[in-house]
Amino acid sequence: MPDPVPAPGALAWPAETRVVGHSTHRIDAEAKVTGRARYASDIQADGWLYGMILRSKWPAARVAAIDLAPALQVPGIVAAVPARDGERTIRFYGEELAAVAGKSKQACLDALRAIRVTATPLPFVVREDDAKADGAAPVWDTAANFIPGTPKEQGSVDAAFGECAAVVEGFYTTPVQIHHPLETHGNTVSWTDDGVTAWASTQGIGSVRDGLAGALQLDQSRVRVVTEYMGGGFGAKFGPGVAGILAAKLSRQAGAPVRLMLTRFDQALAVGNRPSSFQKIRLGALADGTLHAFDFENYGTAGIGAGKASEGGGGGANLPMPYIYKVPNVRTKQAAVAVNAGPASAFRAPANPPASFGMEGAMDDLATKLGVDPVAFRIQNDPNPIRQREYKVGAEKFGWAQKYRRPDPAALALATAGPIRRGVGCAGANWGGGGNKNTGAEVEIHSDGSVEVRLGVQDIGTGTRTVIAVVAAEVFGLAPEQITVRVGDTRFPPGPGSGGSTTCPSVSPAVLDACTNALRQLQTQAGLSDIRDAKGANWAAACRKLGAGTVAARGMWQPGLSSSGAGGVQFAQVAVDTEIGLVTVEKIVAVHDCGRIVNRVTTESQINGGIVMGLGYALYEERVMDPASGVVLNPNFETYKLSGMADVPDIDIVLLDMPERGVIGIGEPATIPTAAAIANAVANALGVRVFSLPITPAKVLAALGKVPSPTPA
Amino acid sequence: MKPFSYATALSPESARQLASSSKHGAYLAGGNDLLGLLKEGLVEADLLVNVKALPGLGKIEQSGAGWSIGALATVAQVEKHPGLKAAFPGLAAAAAEVASPQIRNVATVGGNLAQHSRCWYFRHRDTLCLKKGGDHCFARNGENRYHTLFTGNPCVSPMVSSLAVAFAALDAVAVVVREGKELRWSMADFYHRAWENPLTHHSLEPGDLVVRVEVPLLRTRSAYLQASEKHAFDWALVSCAAATGIDGGKMKGPRIALGSISPMPHQAEAANTFLEGKPLALDDATATQAADLLLKEAQPLEHNGYKVPIALALVRRALLQLQS
Amino acid sequence: MNAPDPNPDDAPLLGTHSRRAFLKGFGAITISAAASQTQAVAAELEKLNAEKIVGPGPVPVTLRVNGETLSLSLEPRVTLLDALRNVSTYTGTKEGCDRATCGACTVLLDGAPIYSCQMLAIEAQGHAITTVEGLAQDGKLTPVQKAFAERDATMCGYCTPGFVMAATALLKENPHPTPADVRRACSGNLCRCGTQPRVVEAVLQAAGGAADNGTPGDLHA
Ligand SMILES: Cc1cc2nc3c(=O)[nH]c(=O)nc-3n(C[C@H](O)[C@H](O)[C@H](O)COP(=O)(O)OP(=O)(O)OC[C@H]3O[C@@H](n4cnc5c(N)ncnc54)[C@H](O)[C@@H]3O)c2cc1C
Ligand code: FES
Ligand code: FES
Repeated sequence: MPDPVPAPGALAWPAETRVVGHSTHRIDAEAKVTGRARYASDIQADGWLYGMILRSKWPAARVAAIDLAPALQVPGIVAAVPARDGERTIRFYGEELAAVAGKSKQACLDALRAIRVTATPLPFVVREDDAKADGAAPVWDTAANFIPGTPKEQGSVDAAFGECAAVVEGFYTTPVQIHHPLETHGNTVSWTDDGVTAWASTQGIGSVRDGLAGALQLDQSRVRVVTEYMGGGFGAKFGPGVAGILAAKLSRQAGAPVRLMLTRFDQALAVGNRPSSFQKIRLGALADGTLHAFDFENYGTAGIGAGKASEGGGGGANLPMPYIYKVPNVRTKQAAVAVNAGPASAFRAPANPPASFGMEGAMDDLATKLGVDPVAFRIQNDPNPIRQREYKVGAEKFGWAQKYRRPDPAALALATAGPIRRGVGCAGANWGGGGNKNTGAEVEIHSDGSVEVRLGVQDIGTGTRTVIAVVAAEVFGLAPEQITVRVGDTRFPPGPGSGGSTTCPSVSPAVLDACTNALRQLQTQAGLSDIRDAKGANWAAACRKLGAGTVAARGMWQPGLSSSGAGGVQFAQVAVDTEIGLVTVEKIVAVHDCGRIVNRVTTESQINGGIVMGLGYALYEERVMDPASGVVLNPNFETYKLSGMADVPDIDIVLLDMPERGVIGIGEPATIPTAAAIANAVANALGVRVFSLPITPAKVLAALGKVPSPTPA
Repeated sequence: MKPFSYATALSPESARQLASSSKHGAYLAGGNDLLGLLKEGLVEADLLVNVKALPGLGKIEQSGAGWSIGALATVAQVEKHPGLKAAFPGLAAAAAEVASPQIRNVATVGGNLAQHSRCWYFRHRDTLCLKKGGDHCFARNGENRYHTLFTGNPCVSPMVSSLAVAFAALDAVAVVVREGKELRWSMADFYHRAWENPLTHHSLEPGDLVVRVEVPLLRTRSAYLQASEKHAFDWALVSCAAATGIDGGKMKGPRIALGSISPMPHQAEAANTFLEGKPLALDDATATQAADLLLKEAQPLEHNGYKVPIALALVRRALLQLQS
Repeated sequence: MNAPDPNPDDAPLLGTHSRRAFLKGFGAITISAAASQTQAVAAELEKLNAEKIVGPGPVPVTLRVNGETLSLSLEPRVTLLDALRNVSTYTGTKEGCDRATCGACTVLLDGAPIYSCQMLAIEAQGHAITTVEGLAQDGKLTPVQKAFAERDATMCGYCTPGFVMAATALLKENPHPTPADVRRACSGNLCRCGTQPRVVEAVLQAAGGAADNGTPGDLHA
């Protein structure tokens, strides 16, 4: 028997669940495997035009004029707009100059070439260290490239190091990482007298609506944003962006819808990235293995975003240190440095993966120095009881006790067993998340028994549609396939932006509330005390009684059903070819908790996704800037390398069920510890550490002292 | 991509005539390279002459002393052809490492040999480097992790064709038709111009048509290995092919070639001579000596010294693989 | 037979513009009756065009997509991907890079997987082109599609059509692949969401193999 329908205001998850917590196939999988799913980039609205953006080829320049007239002469071109009116300063390679719309991609390409830009190049700087140096070209006129951060101290760090039995030091660096969702940023926008409709590839339809309304000076009520399907975001796809606003302006001018999707090249330059980090770490422990002192100095670049940071903004280059560990004496000093490169934006678990890489590296080196087991050392110094449990579960599953050997450089030198060395490592993650209380949902039950749930959220690939169906099915005693879920439209009740692992904890309670209200209403209207039964006969009978009417109910997020604070630990096993430097990740064991699991299979897929992305961060991904020309040298997938099919290890996932904690998100924590665990495994294999991500063959061989010095020029 | 005209040629002669009928005519084979260059605006072409319909140029066949591989055979055909694979396992292995299945299905042997530099400055739409007629090589003192250890000119961009490396070790000959006449080029001939002249990628002149590659049957043992940053679909940091004939358990006519470290397949006569007559069952120390002979003149740049130990390891491993 | 409509009528109605696909001014599609007729037309066209210089302006281009004939008017520089996605309505084929590096645009050309972004439409004449829309017959998913859905080998799904095409081609050539075969065959396809482990499982399942890389259900503490 299902639990009784709760009275208003006393909403709780049922004690026994039939659908929630089990595995339900993605309800939109069929649309995706058949090509029927329509993404923002697939929209072919009536009379649509192709749109493209002209970007700066200078990393810094004073633009005096942009002549769009020749572009408008190109056959097929219908509209052309400048990115900004009047004179302006360009501050990074790839900054938007103008946009065109025309009847074909070819016409647009010809038009971009025809536009004449009058500009004076300015001095520029694209590397963090160069930008910090005296006399470096200023990125912003209003602020220095680099304002050293003020040290923050807790306890007495210098004295504390004197009390330590072991101290390790390291200089850890992480590159700028690019989001590169497989579908680029972009929209189809139609601006008519009725208002604006945007089909957006976005993580936040509400943020696009509000951003467009603001930029175009329209009422929010006159802007509609639709996202049926979108091809990934990872933090970078919020708001309309320059591209969305330009598409709207082009549509207005052309009197037709304009589809303006970025190219892969564009994507690499201008729509966000994860800041770099250059972390000087000193970490010390007492003889009993208790962490005692931590000294941290860090800088990193958020591109031009960092310069604004010096004026008082974020920049996103500061790391949460000493990350998940309890250290009584802590000193940190952090600052962002501005360079002439595209601004940073939120990127899956902002600031956490680099923090994890630095801190967990120091933890392993310290464990080695103290002669203690790294897992035991973590359990000792990580105050979080859930993670402590996860380390134990994971170590067991991974076979840590059998696999871990204290790294020994001498053994490496003597190795006769061939060039392959194996190693293991681990790392932990922490993430907040939590539900957004402004999330609403509406439900309609029809007389034929069919159910429709509407919610202004978007499914960015995390399985949100399916989560909604699962919760509704649970309440109604139906199967998830019986629920029609409509998301991705600002005309539906407001949903959260899909970021920060907040979607599932926002959406699930709201749907539970709306469906519970609907069920109560249906029971009243049908005059039945409980209409849920296994066969669905009561359900059909009750719905038939609705006749020409429907049950329409709304619900809102309610407290007590979701919470925040997800942890996780990962273990990695690697094989390193010490002659050619190649790292192969053979196995990852991931133990995560996210409270009450709503849909198991998609939760596990999120963890796979986090690991695959973390693998890229560990071994392959890096934006490369050219100091001489100021361009991004790898604005493509050929030299900006993502993990491929052949690189992905065997992954074992263990999910800790904690339904009592309510629903918590999982997208971010899953990617945090991967690179750190892999880097630790490499260090364990080699007996020396590679302090810099990505861990390429070049860096492995350098760490092993095998690289000859350059020939003098 | 700028506008261009298009034609399909039905004979080598008409291909040449068609291509020369326009100021910037170019042959289009699989298009993997050419379309990439055109999209970035790196080559001028006002006419593409599709050569894929040229009769007979897609064939792979054995003929007496060797195999003939038509210039329009695809890399996938070279990878999967049972006879070719049995005769030259090193060549099949090289083909199998080229890019991805989708690319191998259309990329042709001729196009693979004639492909342009993959240097990221050369491939960048907004840098005017030496190779594109600018006045200096950005990579030489810039981001040169993927560049050469050997070069005869100021440009440090390497030759990256995987097939060329295997062909070089097999002493294959590329047959090129120039104004109706057949030229027979070793792989060294095919790339020597790129060694000297920073503006070139190979020795072909406009209008030259590669028609086939002939691989002699002298070397029954061959191997190809490459080291990349990823496990598949990634360019070689260094590639290496080794091949030899056998005479009474001894090496006969051994050849080693390295790719991605020079504007041409890197070979050293001294290494080949050193190995001549050595037992096929080579010991590690002898293999190491041969490797040293190939790399001893290497001139690492600021960021690519790591290619030296990789090259040494690959040569050793390829030589040892010849035994099995 | 009609071309699959990528814009089914049950999709929500949006804005003031009709959401039905339309054909761009410079291209027009006609669906011819019989395939044999199609081939004859293509062969005729090829003979007619051979050794003749066409373009750079729009020229007639005839493509056979999923057994249907598309008669388009295209500049020679239009890629097959552009012709499918932008000039026609085959938006199931995705664009991820337009540079032969991501696999989202994978279609089958006479059964072999290729990147449609790195082939000119005009070159694809006379070949049988299969897009993801052409796999399921009468609404019945192919084993590969079914396995991708059941194994959750699709997340945002933008890479999925490309993977499905690459996997379909693999199973035709090698009906009993090992996990390593699957990884190799799909190495030309990128997925940023991280479906790779599930793709391996799905393809093995579609091949009728055990696919026991751990099922989603049995991994829990
Ligand atoms: C992402 C990516 C990764 C790659 N990885 C590798 C790799 O690992 N190893 C490797 O070797 N290659 C690799 N390639 C290169 C690819 O293999 C080549 O681009 C391809 O082989 C070229 O052949 P094609 O037939 O497509 O040539 P096309 O692009 O058609 O032609 C290339 C050039 O050769 C000329 N040409 C073509 N045929 C002839 C002929 N018969 N006679 C004279 N000139 C001719 C053309 O005019 C053009 O200049 C990669 C390419 C890409 C895009
Ligand atoms: S779009 Fe063709 S391979 Fe990426
Ligand atoms: S599922 Fe999103 S890119 Fe693969």
